[in-house]
Amino acid sequence: MCFIAVLSAAEVFQASASLTHSALFFQQDPTSQEGKVVDSEGVPLPGVEVRVVGSAAVAVTNGSGQFVIKAKRGDLLKFHMLGYVDVEKVVELKFITVTLSSSSQNLNELVVVGYGTQKKVNLTGAVASIKVDDQLTSRALPNVSSALQGMLPGLAVNQTSGMAGNNSATLLIRGLGTVNDANPLIVVDGMPDVNINRINMNDVESVSVLKDAASAAVYGSRGANGVILITTKSGKGAQGTKISASASSTIQKPTNAFEFLPNYAKALTVTQRAQAVGSVPASINFKNGTIDEWFAKSMIDPLRYPNTDWWDIITRNGQLNNYNVSATGGNEKSNFYLSVGAMDEKGIQIENDFKRYNALFSYDAKIKKNISTGVRFSGNWSNYRYNYEEGFTANGSSGLDIFTAPAGVTPYDPVTGYYGGAMAYGESILASNPYVDYINRNKNNVERQEAMGNIYIEYNPLPGLKGRIDYNLNYGSQFTWRADIPSKAYNFQLGQFNNRAYVGDNERIYNADRNNYKTQLTAKVNYDKVIAKNHEFNLMAAYSEEFWKIRNLSANRENRFHPLLHELDAALGSVNITNNGNSSTEGMRSYIGRLNYSAFNKYLFEVNFRADGSSRFIKGAQYGFFPSGAVGWRFTEESFIKPFAQKIGLTNGKFRASYGSLGNNNGIGLYEQQEVLTNTNYVASSLNGSVVNQIAVPGFQNRKLINTNLTWEKTTMFNLGLDMAFFANRLTTEFDYYDRLTTGMIRPGDLSILLAAALSPAPRRNLGDLRNRGVEANITWKENRGGFGYMLNLNASYNRTILEKWPEFLNRSAVFIDMPYNFVYAYQSSGIAQTWEDVYNAPIQGAAPGDILLKDLNGDGRVDHNDQVAYPNFQTQRPTTNFALRGNLSWKGFDLGFMLQGATGRKDYYNNNMTNTRITQATNQAINWNQYLNTWTVDNRAAALPRLTSGTAAAPFTANQSTFWLDDVTYLRLKNLQLGYTFNKPYMKKIGLSSVRIYGSADNLATITNYRGLDPEKVSYSNDVYPLSKLFVLGLNVEL
Amino acid sequence: MKQYYFIRLSVLMLLSGLFLLSSCKKDLLDQKSTVGLPSAIYWQTEADATSALMGVYNAFRASFDRDYHFDGHAEFVKVYNTGAISPAPLVVNSPSNYGGSALETYKNLYGIITHANYVIENINLKMLPVAKTEAATRSLESIAGEARLLRGITYLRLISMWGDVPYVGKIVYNPIEVDTLSRMPIRKVKDSILADFTYAFEKLPLKNPVVSRPSKPAALAFRGKMQLFWASWNKFGWPELDKFTPSATEAEAAYRAAASDFKHVIQDYGLDLFRGGDPGQWGTMGSADVLPNYYYMFIPNPGNLNAGGEMLMVLPHGSGLTPVQGDEYQRVFTGPLNGLGQNQVIPRYELANRYQSTITGDFLPPLVQIQPNVAGARTAPNSAINPESYRDRDYRMKATMLWDYEKLMGQGEIDQTSYVNFLYKTFSGKSVINGVEYPNFTDNGTNFSGYQFRKFVRNYGGLARSNGDFNWPVMRLADVFLMYAEATNAVDGPQADAIALVNRVRRRGNLPPLAGSKISSPAAFFSAIEQERIVELVGEGQRAFDLRRWRALERVFGAPYGDGKWFMDTHGNNWERFFQNAPELTYQRCYIYQIPESERTRNSNLTQNIPWR
Repeated sequence: MCFIAVLSAAEVFQASASLTHSALFFQQDPTSQEGKVVDSEGVPLPGVEVRVVGSAAVAVTNGSGQFVIKAKRGDLLKFHMLGYVDVEKVVELKFITVTLSSSSQNLNELVVVGYGTQKKVNLTGAVASIKVDDQLTSRALPNVSSALQGMLPGLAVNQTSGMAGNNSATLLIRGLGTVNDANPLIVVDGMPDVNINRINMNDVESVSVLKDAASAAVYGSRGANGVILITTKSGKGAQGTKISASASSTIQKPTNAFEFLPNYAKALTVTQRAQAVGSVPASINFKNGTIDEWFAKSMIDPLRYPNTDWWDIITRNGQLNNYNVSATGGNEKSNFYLSVGAMDEKGIQIENDFKRYNALFSYDAKIKKNISTGVRFSGNWSNYRYNYEEGFTANGSSGLDIFTAPAGVTPYDPVTGYYGGAMAYGESILASNPYVDYINRNKNNVERQEAMGNIYIEYNPLPGLKGRIDYNLNYGSQFTWRADIPSKAYNFQLGQFNNRAYVGDNERIYNADRNNYKTQLTAKVNYDKVIAKNHEFNLMAAYSEEFWKIRNLSANRENRFHPLLHELDAALGSVNITNNGNSSTEGMRSYIGRLNYSAFNKYLFEVNFRADGSSRFIKGAQYGFFPSGAVGWRFTEESFIKPFAQKIGLTNGKFRASYGSLGNNNGIGLYEQQEVLTNTNYVASSLNGSVVNQIAVPGFQNRKLINTNLTWEKTTMFNLGLDMAFFANRLTTEFDYYDRLTTGMIRPGDLSILLAAALSPAPRRNLGDLRNRGVEANITWKENRGGFGYMLNLNASYNRTILEKWPEFLNRSAVFIDMPYNFVYAYQSSGIAQTWEDVYNAPIQGAAPGDILLKDLNGDGRVDHNDQVAYPNFQTQRPTTNFALRGNLSWKGFDLGFMLQGATGRKDYYNNNMTNTRITQATNQAINWNQYLNTWTVDNRAAALPRLTSGTAAAPFTANQSTFWLDDVTYLRLKNLQLGYTFNKPYMKKIGLSSVRIYGSADNLATITNYRGLDPEKVSYSNDVYPLSKLFVLGLNVEL
Repeated sequence: MKQYYFIRLSVLMLLSGLFLLSSCKKDLLDQKSTVGLPSAIYWQTEADATSALMGVYNAFRASFDRDYHFDGHAEFVKVYNTGAISPAPLVVNSPSNYGGSALETYKNLYGIITHANYVIENINLKMLPVAKTEAATRSLESIAGEARLLRGITYLRLISMWGDVPYVGKIVYNPIEVDTLSRMPIRKVKDSILADFTYAFEKLPLKNPVVSRPSKPAALAFRGKMQLFWASWNKFGWPELDKFTPSATEAEAAYRAAASDFKHVIQDYGLDLFRGGDPGQWGTMGSADVLPNYYYMFIPNPGNLNAGGEMLMVLPHGSGLTPVQGDEYQRVFTGPLNGLGQNQVIPRYELANRYQSTITGDFLPPLVQIQPNVAGARTAPNSAINPESYRDRDYRMKATMLWDYEKLMGQGEIDQTSYVNFLYKTFSGKSVINGVEYPNFTDNGTNFSGYQFRKFVRNYGGLARSNGDFNWPVMRLADVFLMYAEATNAVDGPQADAIALVNRVRRRGNLPPLAGSKISSPAAFFSAIEQERIVELVGEGQRAFDLRRWRALERVFGAPYGDGKWFMDTHGNNWERFFQNAPELTYQRCYIYQIPESERTRNSNLTQNIPWR
């Protein structure tokens, strides 16, 4: 009998416990019942209490799950173990195998935490986790970030676009923690800084979200915004080899759309109406004759009098195809996981494609009895084509092409091969042709490859003691090129080119190459020890070094040899070339420690710390120390509570409390704290005979003033949690409350103007304080009845962000002290003025009938920014409350899943370029149906939108920030609905398949909301027209 | 057996662990910037000191190479600061309202001072004490001298605009230090400036082989200029400057000191005016293939070669350098057909009458403004739109400006095109002159005077509008001549050597020597000197500073609450009027600038100038 190397202290405890009962084994007699207890997966369960009902006889299973108990035939045996459903069995007096099924996977489940795993039941920090199942991978999800939506309380996931290659969701844990980079740290298989959106969803095994200081403290200066731990699949625990393959095909349709008015004559009347507000008829750009002519001739001559539906031309049905094959296998000595996947995404916008290929291979082997080692390699490769980074238009004043494209432009004439331009009398030659814009102009191509490698060696010299060294390399290479194709605007009416080149003849070739790598070395020691039976210790210490390097090289050349060539060598190398190159590095050194102590399985203690040294700070200020502590109390284990708990069906209950600090160094640039000189070349002028020679000479300026006190942003967080399980763990609940205070947010400082010109940018300082408070709930009901199993999960979180300190001067705006960051700060509208009388009765604001009227709240006789009202409970950028209801049920091979997801607590102005009634320029304007149909006129007084106006008006009533445009962005969305059927019949085995599942799934099927903007889930900008997508999937999973 | 196995493994693990740990970076937390140069390894060689000095020049140039903007504050040049570039971050298009708009100017001038202090202090503390040879010491001192010259010039600019200013003379390590600085009395700032110029004078070389780097005479000229300004403020007074008491004795001493410095500049270094001060050829009416010498002084090629040393100090620009360091004079001084100019600087109509007759050497009867549709308007004697009216005038007129039917070499983006004909108010289409077709000058909608600049506009293509390679004059000999004359005249009346110098400047315009009446009294001679300053230095940003130190705003623009001054064009149209019904305050606010209020909110010790309180 010897100790078996064990993974957790609990097992050590159980193993030694079995020894104390070993005496029983040697006193067998015929009235003994022998047997073995296993879990649902056939793994032996040690420490199960076996009791003869109605007698005092009791036994406990040993390390291999075996037991012997004195019993008579006909006695009833009761098997009990925490976390498993009790089983009763009649004594048969022959060897029996009893299977205990887990009452809830949640309880004995191991949860991945930073630098290790912990039993969920012993957790004292706030950790939310999910296991990725078929149902999640069956959704048409182009990336992992989107998949997390609605799954984990406290993690706000918001989809911002449906664009192929750029449709990742933004992730925010427990509200906006800082006004600097507030993104959580993503750690994949122990490696931080992996792009979550480039992982193959099918390779993900589980996701943990570390929300409080105690759980994230081991990530120290990187964990202030919370941590998302992703664990990919491996062959661990595999017996034999399993191969699975899946394929799915998705069609995407926009959830909402830009309602372009594809009728030029009608559109011109809109600009006429808009201009009529401020112009005499003679100076209106488009004449009635032009409109009538277009109206008539467009019916017979669509080439010269087109009514182009641009929206139709530049959109298509999106597609998303996914293919995966994976194999897993193993035995006692070694195991492996191998997977390849391909995703092919075609966006709803033409010329927007994203293809990604993923591969993952991992292999672990026991090379000696107490030494194991392993490698893991993953790689991905993508090709991405797009026009504007944000989709149809850029987020800015340029790239408004879809909004400057009138219907009276012919996209393309296949006969002549010409692209159309402005034609109507009075139309500006600056009119856009979005077809050219996407086909020939703005052609961005990104080819990216990433490779990640990991090797480790693990050594168990003594029971409970484990040492492990990990080395990671994360390499990425990205090549970006752009070579727009020269094209000119043609006027088909005049039969000649306009003076407008969409893309000039001399368009450049742009190439940019970027590569980056990161290395990380981690050495870790774990020691588990049980003292005096009931005192369980777990000690972890780790040391880590991280190093980042990025290198950029870019160049462009004019005078290319042919428009279709796009590499630099395909253009003249002598004139008009530019090139740039630079690199940057960063280093971080960390010391990490954690001590867990549990007494009597009831009282749980944890202390953590991490000390980080970062190259971003100056010597002496490089190290930050981030400690935390947590306590837990499993009160249901107390004898004085147990009876009461049993009465109300409470099987497990635990209080948790934690407090600690974390840091964030994202607010500061890599070299900002270094005294480096800035290159400012100058000219030396000298005479060479009668010629003046001007040559560049090196110059340097010191533009740095170092704030030697600059340090990390610091976040302290208090967390209080209550976990309970009822009714044999059918119902589990988790509640959390937190109070998170970020202090010393790194902000640009300001300097006296005596210094500000030379020492620029001004040194950053640790200035503002931001507080987040919130509650989270996660309630799950899970039950199996016969062949029928179902699960319902409701999770919700509420967060409130308050800006507490901001030493810079704050104007009246949506950022203010003691208010949420970006709260709603709106003018009060009294609706649209119907008559002049309405205008006269309202405060003076330069309005006319058809305009929005604003209220003069302070009664000073005018409407100005002092009349805005603050809404302390609403923010424009984020909802305060996120919630989701998920459910699934399975019956005889059928499975059905759904997810309802929603949010509330956000209000936003829905006005954007689609609803804008101010036509800023009369010519080259795209007009939409809203502007044509829903704008106020004397004949359409009930219109939803105010009257059309033109030009740029400065009166407050034209401001978008009024309650007229303010909508509650609460929504409830049927996020996913899924139906599958699994063929798992004996006859499948005969044809060599172990199981086949076919399924159909739909995402974003229906939404209930009062929000009139593009999509309640997005935070959009004024010229954003990119909707989210509805996704319909058909797929097949096969296992061999 | 098991024990050995255990030990073997332990050793193995330990070794591999050590190997991994030792292979990683010891200097992990010491990541150096790959583009920025660490200042810690700087200040080792003379080359370091030189490149740091170039950094000061880089900042200095940005504040001083667009001094033409200040001509917008005087009466002979119209300056727009609209358009794609408005680098002078102060209001320049009004001579009556600018003193409160110079926050950015103030900030940028102190930027130069910060950079200069960085060089001066580091050379003094880190380099001079360890300099190994005499030669090394000398050249380091020379570099420090240049930095002090730049610092002195900058403080001179600051005090001439704001009066008393905070003085920063060392590197500021703790920004709090400057948040409590009081304004230093102008007298003390002046003394520091003189100390800088004196140091520079002592340490600079006699002649720097690099044209764009100053030598002794430049330092001396600036020391003289400082004395001249100090003398002017003491003589004419500066009532807007709180606690400044003018002193006649102070003025006299300063004038004499100024004269002495200027005299040395003129005598000791063998300097001469550009091309010997010869007028060169006037060329022919309406053509631009031959132009007077004065024109070539302000174009790069064949331009201000500085052979005679007229350019005592210049700010160089370079074409085709990265980052771009070109001048933009083509862009601001001319129109779209001449290298895509934006025509932001226009000579006013009133300038034309300042150009004297080469025959009489005196002013001519004022030009007759006339509408072109009046019969015979273009042939009437002395008509402003009759080219013949411009014959036999100061050669500098032809070199400085265009009147109707004068031509200018056209340029596309870079390529030379053909001569462009200037014809006021006919800013499109073509003119046929003697059977040759010329495109008409395009004015970019900014010309309302009837004249255009030729000065600073290249007569050849090849360089884009933002890519010029001209050396902008910061101090030139003609200015020194005239300042010398002004200084001696102020204390001793017209002196023979001073008159001779003014005449040398006049000779450039092919003007005869000053008549007896012009040198009969200090006042008459002062007028003659002012006249030369107007035509010789036009467009170089001197006039507004002259007007203020002479307290001449009322003389030029009329008394407070008066009609102000109308500016007109060659056709007799009014263009714009300034100072109409202007109260004293308007004038006072031109005489002294406003201390930036934003700075006063952070620094309670900073007082405001009287007119801005």
